[in-house]
Amino acid sequence: MTPEVVFDMKEVILSIRNLKTYFFTRRGVVRAVDGIDFDLVKGETLCLVGESGCGKTVTALSILGLIDSPPGRIVDGEIHYGNIDLMRCPRDQMRHIRGKEIAMIFQDAQSALNPVFTIGNQIVEQIKLHSEADNREAKEKAISLLEEVGIPSPEKVANYYPHQLSGGMKQRAMIAMSLSCDPQILIADEPTTAVDVTTKAQILDVFQRLKNTRQISLLFITHELGVVSEIGDRVVVMYAGKRVETAKVSELLTNPIFQHPYTTSLIKCLPDITGERDRLESIPGTVPSLIDLPGGCLFHPRCAKAMAICREEEPPPVTVTRGHTVFCHLYSR
Amino acid sequence: MKKTWLRDYIIKRLLYAVIIAWGVLTITFVLVRVGPTSPADKYLANLASRGQDAAQVIAAIEARYGLDQPIYEQYINYVFNLFRGDWGWSFSTSMPVMELIKTHWIYSFQLVLLSSIFAALLGISIGIYSAVRQYSKTDYIATFFSFIGISIPNFWLGVMLILLFSVQFGLFKTYYDTSIPLLSLANLKQLILPVITLGTGMLAGYTRYTRSAMLDNLRKEFVRTARAKGLPERTVIGKHVFRNAILPLITIIMFDLGSIVFGGAYLTEIVFGIPGLGRISFNAIFADDYAVVVTVTLISAFLILMINLITDITYTYLDPRIRYD
Amino acid sequence: MTKGLKSITHIARKVGGVRNLLFILLAALLGLTILLDIRVVEKIFDPLVYLYLAVGIVVALYVIPPLYTSRRLVQYYWQRARRNRLAVVGLAFILFLILLAIIGPFLTADPTEINFEEKNLPPPGFTLQETVYHLETQQFITKTASGIWEHPLGTDNKGRDLLAMIISGARVSLLVGLFATGIAIVLGTLIGVISAYLGGKTDNVLMRFTDIMMTFPFFLLLVLIVFLFGPNLVFIVLVIGLTGWTGTARLIRSETLSLRTREFIMASKALGASDGRIILAHLIPNVVSLIIVIATLSIPGVILAEAALSFIGLGDPAVTSWGMVLRAGQQTLDTAWWVAVAPGIMLFLTVLAFNFVGDGLRDAFDPRSSV
Repeated sequence: MTPEVVFDMKEVILSIRNLKTYFFTRRGVVRAVDGIDFDLVKGETLCLVGESGCGKTVTALSILGLIDSPPGRIVDGEIHYGNIDLMRCPRDQMRHIRGKEIAMIFQDAQSALNPVFTIGNQIVEQIKLHSEADNREAKEKAISLLEEVGIPSPEKVANYYPHQLSGGMKQRAMIAMSLSCDPQILIADEPTTAVDVTTKAQILDVFQRLKNTRQISLLFITHELGVVSEIGDRVVVMYAGKRVETAKVSELLTNPIFQHPYTTSLIKCLPDITGERDRLESIPGTVPSLIDLPGGCLFHPRCAKAMAICREEEPPPVTVTRGHTVFCHLYSR
Repeated sequence: MKKTWLRDYIIKRLLYAVIIAWGVLTITFVLVRVGPTSPADKYLANLASRGQDAAQVIAAIEARYGLDQPIYEQYINYVFNLFRGDWGWSFSTSMPVMELIKTHWIYSFQLVLLSSIFAALLGISIGIYSAVRQYSKTDYIATFFSFIGISIPNFWLGVMLILLFSVQFGLFKTYYDTSIPLLSLANLKQLILPVITLGTGMLAGYTRYTRSAMLDNLRKEFVRTARAKGLPERTVIGKHVFRNAILPLITIIMFDLGSIVFGGAYLTEIVFGIPGLGRISFNAIFADDYAVVVTVTLISAFLILMINLITDITYTYLDPRIRYD
Repeated sequence: MTKGLKSITHIARKVGGVRNLLFILLAALLGLTILLDIRVVEKIFDPLVYLYLAVGIVVALYVIPPLYTSRRLVQYYWQRARRNRLAVVGLAFILFLILLAIIGPFLTADPTEINFEEKNLPPPGFTLQETVYHLETQQFITKTASGIWEHPLGTDNKGRDLLAMIISGARVSLLVGLFATGIAIVLGTLIGVISAYLGGKTDNVLMRFTDIMMTFPFFLLLVLIVFLFGPNLVFIVLVIGLTGWTGTARLIRSETLSLRTREFIMASKALGASDGRIILAHLIPNVVSLIIVIATLSIPGVILAEAALSFIGLGDPAVTSWGMVLRAGQQTLDTAWWVAVAPGIMLFLTVLAFNFVGDGLRDAFDPRSSV
């Protein structure tokens, strides 16, 4: 448990301590998230980065209590939103927070939207759920939201069904829906992953605009460092359910000295368009099965700089500079 | 633009239904004419048993039914008569078949209606509950009973119910009493056993299909979105999931209608002595009264045609993915 | 010697394989025997035996070898199916039923033997008491009838042994189930595959026809046809088969449609394979697992159809089937209730068994389900 004092003057809006979410399956216990800590500061964009399966989505779902409860369960941790512990608050209060205080958008907009209701209908439903607005007011607000995210002819689109829209439009519609009750925090789970490059840029534009106009606190989950560099203020790097590094984006990407080896590899994997390298780099080995984890530092089997101690002990957190923490034996002397 | 699309589809579908109807008519006609005992022979047998002179009778029949005419003229007459409402003459009851149908259809209708309501309400509720509480004890019990429900031969179930509740315990009469007015509680009471008999098979089917359709949709992503919006669980299930599950459900339910419901109703009427269309057809068989048997078959085929038509249109209307494409 | 072999292989190639050659020879032999039977000699075999022989030849030549060559695959599916306990129980019951049908007739009385002395006997262990006013002595006499072990299930109101009737019914139901389903499946598969594969106008016409047939309620159509043509067991089996193929055709057609666009079919076509060959050698083997499941799940419906026909009196009067016994039982519900209970239980258990097995097979074949 690390007391994380990030910016001494800024207000922390979401604080996660020692979150552990496990899935109890027939083949064993999957430790999807195994002791994560981080803070989300009001108004900032925090990126959660890592390969597929490292626990990013599960972390986000845990915050909102959306883990499928037969196999999964949050076994430990505290999630503080303001002065409410989201893990221990009553269900009614949790439902009130979902959608109104903390909203979430998902990766695949086509399957995340209900195919049998119109876009407008789905947004209006959320508005009416959390406010006193009547049909007309809610519909007007829905249209203005669609306009805000850059959808052309929003009055028409509001009467469309999800399958009638393009991928990018669907994603924007989902963003609009999540903003419908003016939430404090928006959790975006890989919103740019399932779309093509042009749409990706457009959607990032939307987020940028939202950051400027609404001062919303954004928890942005992705596995693409390029996106992180564009939109992130700070970043938390995850590997196999654990946190390996937390830093300001600017520092992480430009200062390689105190980087975690995993982060270094991730950066190296980015295609280099300056034309110097001709082969794509990849990280040797594969992500460990979350049931059968290696001992010591989870990354050691694939780490180029692994030492003897890495096999034995879990690396302790090392505060390298202010706001930059690494979990690696390399820097613990 | 969307409105005319639906209208065009309905028109297309209606035309198609007409073709199917023609096919049904024709096949029935062929079956009747190809049978070893022609209608003429059957009438002869009937009339002979009443001691009438054969030669006179043959002439009368040939005149009335145009059996001396070439086959295609007979066919045209046949189709024409059907539309006119001249569905033949029933010997065993000495009235036009049309009359017979008019007086008896209501009994079949009430049986099928009540059974369907019973089966649908109970079946869908249990199916939803089973799906939401998958792997619970209730789920296993419900699944087990639905297996039994679709396996039990419904005519035997009827006999067993009569054995238990009418013969042993004397709670119900063994035969349906037509003197009781239709819209009375007493009528409802005597319909309890028949409705259970016919409804059980349907119930089991509905439970199974609802459960499976709900399970398929409970896994989908939009359910997570709905919860993330803060919707109460009952709205998530009752509105979002159910509205998606109902689409395949409608098709499956209607598909089974022909085999299970109509065949089942036929047998149930016979077991309980309910004088519906099934029972009069059954009586007609043993009185060699072919017009009734043929007509009842045709009527049920057309009913199924209607139901399929309505189901298709309803499904197209309800699924926006088809409507707006 | 080698010359003989050479000419055999030459002919074999012409007909598409040694197996086909063997089939033609055996079929010809069988055909000859049948002709002899009808025309020349007195009965050699019971007609039913010919049917069994024909089915046996087809099974031995076309079903067993593929199973043998893909032993591992068969074993894999068997392992998966085995884990479903209900399915195993169902299979055990079916095997028991088959045993009963084959051996039973030798061990029990003649089901049609009427014996008014022993009428209305309940199963052993039960006693029926009847108070009757005896005219001569002008007194009420209590007559008791207890079951005897000679009639393990009791007798009906004409003294016929119920157990024997049940066993006869088992034979009938299994036969009907086997042959009627066979006809329906073969017909349905052919129509489905051809319709889906050839597409276009053929597909259109075949599907319209299927729709028309499906519009008739199955049972009412059966009733109509049996009413018009007469109740004869062989005919009933034929009719059930010829009217019950529609569901199969639909399912097989949709499966074939999705297979048709897969690469291995296109590759076959590119190599110059004829349509017939593609259908027989490529498409059909891939729908086999679906066919097996459909067949197993169709048998209960077929058995119930025949039973229902017999129940309402349209069954073959010369044959003792479960439906017929049930019909007799309904008429004597107050005096001999056991007559109605036994055949119904057998029908129920049989249908249940096939449903369990069919469901288990379906799960075993479905790659997505984790058995």
